[in-house]
Amino acid sequence: MKIKTTRFGTINISKDKIIYMPFGMLGFSDKKRFVLFPHKENSPFFWYQSADDPALAFVIISPFLFAPAYSIDADETAKKMSWNDAVESDYEVYVIAGIPRGEPDKITANMIGPLLINVRKREAVQMVIPNSPYSHKFPLSANK
Amino acid sequence: MLVITRKPGERITIGDDITVTVIEVKGSLVKLGFEAPRNVGIHRQEIYDRIREENVKASGIDASDLAGAAFFLNGKKKAVKSED
Repeated sequence: MKIKTTRFGTINISKDKIIYMPFGMLGFSDKKRFVLFPHKENSPFFWYQSADDPALAFVIISPFLFAPAYSIDADETAKKMSWNDAVESDYEVYVIAGIPRGEPDKITANMIGPLLINVRKREAVQMVIPNSPYSHKFPLSANK
Repeated sequence: MLVITRKPGERITIGDDITVTVIEVKGSLVKLGFEAPRNVGIHRQEIYDRIREENVKASGIDASDLAGAAFFLNGKKKAVKSED
C-alpha cells in the first residue's frame, strides 16, 4: 500500500508492516496506524510514521542503547491490550526523541512514555510510567 | 464540576462499568481504587499531560534536525571508544 508523508514523499509498504495502535499515541488518539523504518543505515534512530496523517511522524530510539539499566513492566499493559499469550521476545521497546527546532544538540528522550510494540501481533501502545527514575527529557547528546 | 462527599470505604459509580472507591484518607493524601474496563486509561494527570505535551512537540521534528542530532550522538559514541 502507498502512504503519503510530508517528510519522505509517498512510501510503498506492504500491508502486513502496518503497526496498529488501538489507543493511538497520547494526544493523537485518532491516528491508529503506523509504520516503522530506519532513519538511515547505521543510525540508531527510526521514524515512526503515521499511515493516517502525512505530517505526523515521531523519531524513536531504543532506550537500551544509552540507558542499559532501563526496564519496563509490560504485564499490566499486555492485559489492557489483550496480548494474553505474549512473551518477552514478542516485544520491542522504543522511546520518543524530542528535538527543539534548529537545536539538534538539545535532543532528549521521553523515558516515561515508552512505545511498546508487539512485533508478532503488529500492535503497539504508548505506556504511561509513574514514579520512573528517568525523566521525560532525558538528554541524549554529549554537547548539552 | 460535580462535587460529592464520601467516607473511606464508600464508592462512586460512573456510567455502567466504572467504580471509584475511597480506600483511605490520611492527612492530605487520599487513596483511591478504580475499577474500569481494560480499555479505559486511568493515569495520574500530571504524568499523562507531560507525555502528551512531549508527544505534541516530538511530532513536529524536522528531518534535518535529526541529521544534526545523529551527528552529535555519533560524536559521543566515538569519544567513549577512544577512552577505552
